[in-house]
Amino acid sequence: MHFIEVEHLNKSFTVRKKREKGRFLREKSIIHALQDVSFHVDEGELIGYIGPNGAGKSTSVKILSGILTPDSGRASVGGLTPWTDRKTHVQHIGVVFGQRMQLWWDVPIIDSYRLLKDIYKVQKGAFENRLEELTDALDLKNLLATPLRLMSLGQRMRAELCGSLLHSPRLLFLDEPTIGLDAVSKLKLREFLLKENREKGTTVLLTTHDMEDIAALCQRVMVLGHGKKLYDGQLPELLSRYDTQRTIHVRYDAPPDLSSLPESCTLQKDGDNFIITYEPARIPTSDMLSLLQKAGAMQEMTAQSQNVDLLIARMYREMDL
Amino acid sequence: MNTLKLYLHSMKVLLKSQMQYPFSFCLQTLAQIVMEAGEMLAVLLIVNRFQALNQWTGGDLLFFFGMMSISFYLTECFGRGITGNFAALIRSGNLDTFFLRPRGIMTQVLCHAIDPRRIGCIAVGVAALVLGCQQSQVQWNGMKIFLFTEAIFFGMLLILGLFLIEAVFAVHSVKSIELVNAVTYGGRSACQYPIDAYPGPLRVLFGTLAPFALVLQVPSAVILGKPLLGIDGVAAFLCPLSGLVFFVIMYFVFQKAMKFYRSTGS
Amino acid sequence: MRKYFSTFLMRWKMETQYRGAALGGIICQMVFGLILISVYRALYMGNPQSMPLSAIVTYVWLQQAFFRMLLSSDNDLMDKIRTGGIAYEMCRPVSLYGYYYARIMAMKLMGSLLRAVPMLVLASLLPEGWGIGAPASVPALLLALMGLALGLFCMCALENITMGITMRTIDFKGFQALLNLLMTTFSGNILPLTLFPDAWQRVVRLLPYAQLLDAPIRLYTGETPLHQAGQVFLIQGIWLCIFVGIGLYLWKRNTRKMIVQGG
Repeated sequence: MHFIEVEHLNKSFTVRKKREKGRFLREKSIIHALQDVSFHVDEGELIGYIGPNGAGKSTSVKILSGILTPDSGRASVGGLTPWTDRKTHVQHIGVVFGQRMQLWWDVPIIDSYRLLKDIYKVQKGAFENRLEELTDALDLKNLLATPLRLMSLGQRMRAELCGSLLHSPRLLFLDEPTIGLDAVSKLKLREFLLKENREKGTTVLLTTHDMEDIAALCQRVMVLGHGKKLYDGQLPELLSRYDTQRTIHVRYDAPPDLSSLPESCTLQKDGDNFIITYEPARIPTSDMLSLLQKAGAMQEMTAQSQNVDLLIARMYREMDL
Repeated sequence: MNTLKLYLHSMKVLLKSQMQYPFSFCLQTLAQIVMEAGEMLAVLLIVNRFQALNQWTGGDLLFFFGMMSISFYLTECFGRGITGNFAALIRSGNLDTFFLRPRGIMTQVLCHAIDPRRIGCIAVGVAALVLGCQQSQVQWNGMKIFLFTEAIFFGMLLILGLFLIEAVFAVHSVKSIELVNAVTYGGRSACQYPIDAYPGPLRVLFGTLAPFALVLQVPSAVILGKPLLGIDGVAAFLCPLSGLVFFVIMYFVFQKAMKFYRSTGS
Repeated sequence: MRKYFSTFLMRWKMETQYRGAALGGIICQMVFGLILISVYRALYMGNPQSMPLSAIVTYVWLQQAFFRMLLSSDNDLMDKIRTGGIAYEMCRPVSLYGYYYARIMAMKLMGSLLRAVPMLVLASLLPEGWGIGAPASVPALLLALMGLALGLFCMCALENITMGITMRTIDFKGFQALLNLLMTTFSGNILPLTLFPDAWQRVVRLLPYAQLLDAPIRLYTGETPLHQAGQVFLIQGIWLCIFVGIGLYLWKRNTRKMIVQGG
C-alpha cells in the first residue's frame, strides 16, 4: 500500500466557446485535462511535477487535494479518497500556491496563524510548539506582528509556507513556490523544504516551471502533457535522453583551416569566435578536440553542456506538447 | 459550538483588518448613514405630501421602513461573505482555498467577510423605528419584544437565503447580479412599504416566493396593532418561520451547487 | 479630437459585449419601476395631488430607463487610479481630461441606451395608468432630447471632477458613495422631484443633479412649457461651463503633481 495511489484518473471539462456570428447556439468543446493517469508515491518522497501550461498539472493537484471530483478513476491519499472524505483528508494536507495568498492581508500574520489554529482545531500546546519551530526555521520571529501587505514577496512566501504547515500535514502541495523570488530567498526556501522533508518525513509534491527547483529538491519527476503521464523517473535520466549535444567555443591565433570537420557537426562564426555544435555519440569528444587542434594554434577554448531549460524545451517539442 | 467560536474569532480578525484604515472606515460609514438617511428622507417626504398609505399613517410607514433597514443591513453586516460578490470569490480562487480546509464551505464563506460600515445604515433604521414608535404610540410588552426579535432574526435568514440565489448562479457561471438584485434590493425597496399597497402579482412574489411580508411585515403590523391581511394571534408568531424554511431550502440548493462546482472545475 | 473619438468608440464596443448583463439590468429596473408605480398609485388613491398620476408614472419610467446615466460606476478606472496603473495612461499623448471624458461618456451612453430603448418599448406596452405616457408634443420631445444631451455633458464633466478628486484621496469608495447618494436623492430617482415640498423644489431644481434627468423629463411631460426651454438650457449650460472649468484646472494640477511625484 503506497501513501498516494492514483489509478486511471480521467477528468474532462466542457468549455463553451464564444458564439460565432450567425450561429444561434454556442459551440461546446471538451478538453481532456487528465487521461488515464496512474502513479504511486511513497511517504516521505519529494516529487517534481512538470509539464507545459495546460498539461493537467493543476487539475491533478486539485483532485488530489479534494477540490475537484474526477470523472472516473481511483485515488487515495493515506487511505482516504480526497473528494469523498474531504474534511478528514484536508486535515492532513497543506497547500501553497505561489500566486495566491491564503493568509489575511491586513492583519499581523500571528493573527492569521491563530485563526488557522481554530480552523484546523489544533491543540494549544501543539500549536505553540509548532509555531516556535516553524518561525525559527523560516526566520519569521521578527515578522509575526507585521501584516502580510507590508512584507516583501520572499517574506510573504515564507509566511504562507508557515501557515500551511502549522497543522503538521503529512502531504504538502507546492505550486510554483519560488515564482518571482530573488536568488537568496529561493535558496533559503529550498533548504527549508529539504529539511522539513528529511526531519518530518513530509511528502512533497512540487509543481513548477523552474527546473532548478526540481534539480535541487526532487529525486523523482513526473512529466505530464496533454493530460497524459509521459515520464516518471529520475531527473538526470530524463535529461540524458535529450542531452545529446555539446558546444565548443574556440578562438585561433590565425585563421584556421576547419575544412576537415565532419559534416554531422555545425559550425558558426561569431567575430573571431568559432562555435561548434556536435553530438558526442557520433564523434567522440577526444576526436573532436584533436581535429580542432590540427586546424591551427588555439588561443582559447571553452566547452559547454546544454542549459536545462533548453533541454526541457526540446523535450516538450519532441513529445509534441 | 466550535463553529460559532470560529465565526466570532474570524469576525474579530476581520474587524481588526478593517480598522487598519480608520479614516477610510469613518468616511465610508458616514456615507452609509447619509445613504440610508436619503432613503428615509424619501419616506418622510412622501408622508409630508400624502399623509397616509391606505390605512397606514406616517408613523406606521417609518416603523415598516425601520424593520426592513435593520434586518437587511444586519444581514449585510454579518453575512457579508454571502451578500458580497460571490462571483469574485470564485474568480479570485478563494473558494478553492475553502475546499482545502477541514470546515464546511458555508461556514467559511460566512467567516470570510464582515461589513461593519453597515452600522451606519442600521443606526438610521433604528432611528426610523424609534420615531415610528413614537408617532404611532406603540405600547411595548414582552410578547411584542419577542415578536420583534423573531422577525428581525428570521428576516436575516430570509435575506441570506435570497443572496444565496446569486451564489448558486455564480457557481454555474451565470452572470446574474442585476437579475438577483431585483429580488434582493428590489425586495428591500418594495417591502419597506406594507405589501397591501401592491397589486396581486407583487403580493404573491413578496408573500410567498420571497416572503418578506410574512417574515417582517406581519409581525410589524401586529406590533402596530393593525394586523396585516387579517393575520393575528398565534399565526403572527408562526409567519416569520417562513424565513427559516426559505433559508433551509436555499442551504441545500447551495450545497448541491458546491457539488456541481467540484465536478466541473473552475 | 480624433483620438478622443476612438477612445469613445473603443469603450462603446466593450460595453456592447455585455448584452447578458444588460438584459438582467432591464428586468431589474422594470421590477423597480413597477414597485415604485404601485406605491404611487396606492398613495394617489388616498390623496390625489395637483400633479396627475400619469405624469408621475411617466417620470418614474424615464428615470428607471436612464438610471445607468446617473451612477458613476467606472470601477475599472478607479482600480487603476488606486493601484497606480494610471501611470501607463500618463504616458499616452492625450489630455487626460479629454481621454476620461470620452471614456465616461461612452460608458454612460452605451450602458443606458442598451437598457433604455427596450425598457421604454416595454413600458409603453403596459396598460393605461401603468405605462409611460406620450410626450406632450413633438417639439417637447425634441427639446427633451436636447436637454438630455446637455444634461449628459454636464454629468460627464461632474464625474470627471469626482475622478480628479479621487486621485488625491486614497479612499474613493466613501467619497463616491456620498456623491452617488446626492445623485440618487436629488436627481429624482428615489422620489420624483415633483413630489418634493414645493419650497424645496425651487432650490433642488437648480442643483446640477436635477439637470441630467429631471429637467428633460419635465420638458417631455410638458410640465415645463416650451417657451421656458431656453431657461432650462441656460441653467444646464452654466453648470456645464463651471464643471468643465473646474475639471480642466484639477486635471492640470493632478498631472503636474504626479510628474513631480514620479507617478
